[in-house]
Amino acid sequence: MKDLVREKIIQVARKVKEDIDKGRFPELSYPPNSKANIKFLEEKGYLFEPKSFSTISGDRVKSLRTLSGVLYGLSRALDHLENGLTMTKRDFYYLHKVQKFKGTLFPKEQRETDARIILMELLLGMPREAFSITSDPRGWIYGDIELVDRSGRLIRANEVGEMGYSVPPRPENITFKRIGVKAVVAIEKVGPAKNMIELGIPEEKKIGIAILQGQASRNMRRFLRMLSDEGVPIAVLTDLSPWSLRIAATVVYNSINSAHVEGLAVPEARFIGIKTDDVEEGFFSEYKFALEPLTQMDYKAAEDNRHLPNLQAPIWQKENNWFLEKKMKAELEIFKAMSPSARDLKRLYVEYLSMKLEEALGISI
Amino acid sequence: MRRERIEEISAADFFYRNRAIAGFDNPVRATYTIVRELVENSLDAAEEAGIPPKIMITMERIERKENGSDLMKITVRDNGIGLSAEEIPRAFGKVFTSSKYRLIQSRGTFGLGGTMALLYGQITTNKPFIVSSAKKGDYINRMTMMIDVQKNEPIVIKREVLGIAERSFTAVESYFEGSYARAKRKIVDYLYQTAIVVPYADIMFVDPDGVVFLFPRSTDEMPPRPKESLFHPKGVDLELLQRLIRASRANTVKGFLKTSFQRIGDKTADEVLALAGIPAEKRLKDLKKEEIEALYNALRSYDKFMAPDHTVLSPLGKKLLEEGIKKELRPEFVYAVQRPPSVYEGHPFIVETAIAYGGEIKPAGEIQLYRFANRIPLLYDATADVSYQVAKGINWSNYGIRSLEEEPIALFFHIVSTKIPFKTVGKEYIAAVPEVEREVELGFKTCARELKLYLYRIRRKESLAKRAFLFRRFYEIVAECVEDITGERPSVEVLLKTRFGDLYEGSGEGEDNSGGEES
Repeated sequence: MKDLVREKIIQVARKVKEDIDKGRFPELSYPPNSKANIKFLEEKGYLFEPKSFSTISGDRVKSLRTLSGVLYGLSRALDHLENGLTMTKRDFYYLHKVQKFKGTLFPKEQRETDARIILMELLLGMPREAFSITSDPRGWIYGDIELVDRSGRLIRANEVGEMGYSVPPRPENITFKRIGVKAVVAIEKVGPAKNMIELGIPEEKKIGIAILQGQASRNMRRFLRMLSDEGVPIAVLTDLSPWSLRIAATVVYNSINSAHVEGLAVPEARFIGIKTDDVEEGFFSEYKFALEPLTQMDYKAAEDNRHLPNLQAPIWQKENNWFLEKKMKAELEIFKAMSPSARDLKRLYVEYLSMKLEEALGISI
Repeated sequence: MRRERIEEISAADFFYRNRAIAGFDNPVRATYTIVRELVENSLDAAEEAGIPPKIMITMERIERKENGSDLMKITVRDNGIGLSAEEIPRAFGKVFTSSKYRLIQSRGTFGLGGTMALLYGQITTNKPFIVSSAKKGDYINRMTMMIDVQKNEPIVIKREVLGIAERSFTAVESYFEGSYARAKRKIVDYLYQTAIVVPYADIMFVDPDGVVFLFPRSTDEMPPRPKESLFHPKGVDLELLQRLIRASRANTVKGFLKTSFQRIGDKTADEVLALAGIPAEKRLKDLKKEEIEALYNALRSYDKFMAPDHTVLSPLGKKLLEEGIKKELRPEFVYAVQRPPSVYEGHPFIVETAIAYGGEIKPAGEIQLYRFANRIPLLYDATADVSYQVAKGINWSNYGIRSLEEEPIALFFHIVSTKIPFKTVGKEYIAAVPEVEREVELGFKTCARELKLYLYRIRRKESLAKRAFLFRRFYEIVAECVEDITGERPSVEVLLKTRFGDLYEGSGEGEDNSGGEES
């Protein structure tokens, strides 16, 4: 992998050198992550299918700035790669806050350098993690799963801390040794997920718990996809809110912003709740008093959701219309409102998960 | 004639009672007005002789007073035609009414000249004034005089003859009660702006503190003298018509019309008289009051007169206006334009405008507008002036100017006319007469177009240089990074040299240019 990245970076720099040596203004061509190049398929999620190409050209000041910025970014990426060093987006921004770049590459804000990272991804056709720019890793996996990661040690995901194994920035290095879970439930919120672990549900019901902690990070989505590729059924459990719909859909289909990065969608994953049916006539129908009102921001998000390609299917639009109509949301903490005692809480979790896993994935626990 | 005497006495009395209107209402304003009246007198004297004016003004503080108005002495010396012994008392010892029967462009703000200033000095100090003058090669006469206010007659107290003059000159010395400290800025402003609009004048001012202000001439060239001509029939009011009738030597009304006005010949005279219902051969002396009114109304309503003769006007001209602006403001760009002659209410006028940019002109946070009327600077009430309103109304961004207030721009407006359309008795700003407004606007816009071209050229040059400079910096980064990655440095220098040539070589280093935005 490292060799491939190095090869690609050198290839880009060579192209520039050749153009210049021929007395031409250098040009770099790349497939932009524009609407025209992104396709959405319900069964695969977002797909990046380059049809049109853009050019970064060294003949205009604006474009030349981008060109030199990209080359600088690539040279720094190669330097980090060769030295086994990683950097964050913030680091990358600071690599440009250099005295000698005053008036040229010195950025006004991080947005500038972030945009250039995406450009580098498109140019090289690989995710930024491949060329040493990692995200802040976020997310844990707990359960009867044995794996080996870059450290080379065997790890049991139910024996490494109370929240499980912290999924690394580049999960590609992981190999699974043994998977003893029937399914993995990816949970948006830390609190309820920890409770399930604390109540011993993963051991008792042979399921894995993946803790997303908000929007699923790239590394977590990649990791879930790897589990899915190993044949593990994946369920997604989130709040019932306009934002949580996006979180669930991003796990299933990937997002527009990272559509050009492969392997982030988990099309086999199923959204198991909280759903509007649960609130209206199902599991939580007696507890409507525990719902929360939508904020103005929430409502705006619901309106925007009407146009997101990965939320167009009727199952999603049905959920979303409920927000627009009722102006309410339900949070996972609603279990607490139903069961102030620990024993009741465990019963309710198990009841809910059994019903949902059976219904969505045909799995009995 | 009895009537004439009453007129003359009332002129002095008029001044005595209406000092405020003439600009003598307080010691500060009086100090400024005295300088102004005497300087304008001197400019006229030299121009009449066809000589580029050379004027020296000296002001001294003779005695400080508690109330802030000091006893001052002013001496103004010029190189004008010079006056003979007989001419001196008449020229300075008598206040004239503006009872001219002919039309010519003249300077004097109030038509009363320097005598007003001398009279003010006499009234406030009870001291005589002294006039020395001579024509070249003639005796120099020095006369100590006062004015008999009631009789409006000069009283020569002392007369001296001081040898023979090598050059023509006139020098006036007068005492007055005034205050220099607060008038200083106005006076210096006035002289500075006069130097702009009279670039062929040499002006020197030694102020009471011993500070010398020098405004040297930059050219000997003078605009052509205005010609004198008869009134245009549309340009007279009833009072003037009556005066013209009294002064006329014609026998018949028709003869009067033909000899007292321009643009009236046999045919026109007959048509006007028919309109007025007055027989052509009616004797002028027999005209009754009602008939004069009928004649006046006929002149008003008759609409076939040819436009007035504009050769009575003496504009400065494009070259001299630009010369004056360059001399005093040292801009990097100046463009002046003289509009063709035009007419309002029977009065011919010519508008001249100019725009200056950059150089020693700095942004002032307000519109920098210099206004002149008949070659006299107008210093006050700029915002009420027609030229200010016009300037405000123009969309300057069409001409590459983002803000008139925040850029180094000065505007100039000069109007010459036999009757300047002042808005108020203060005579500091020009009324928004539609005909004048139109000329000012066209004038400013013509200048603005030239400025736009100029700015386009320099900005383009700057942006090309800036572009070349940025290219060099960015390609240095490209070269370094490519070398860093591949181990080989691309020949960016060759590329840039072929693409930019001289610009690449000459592009300024060390500037802190900000780069373009991310696409």
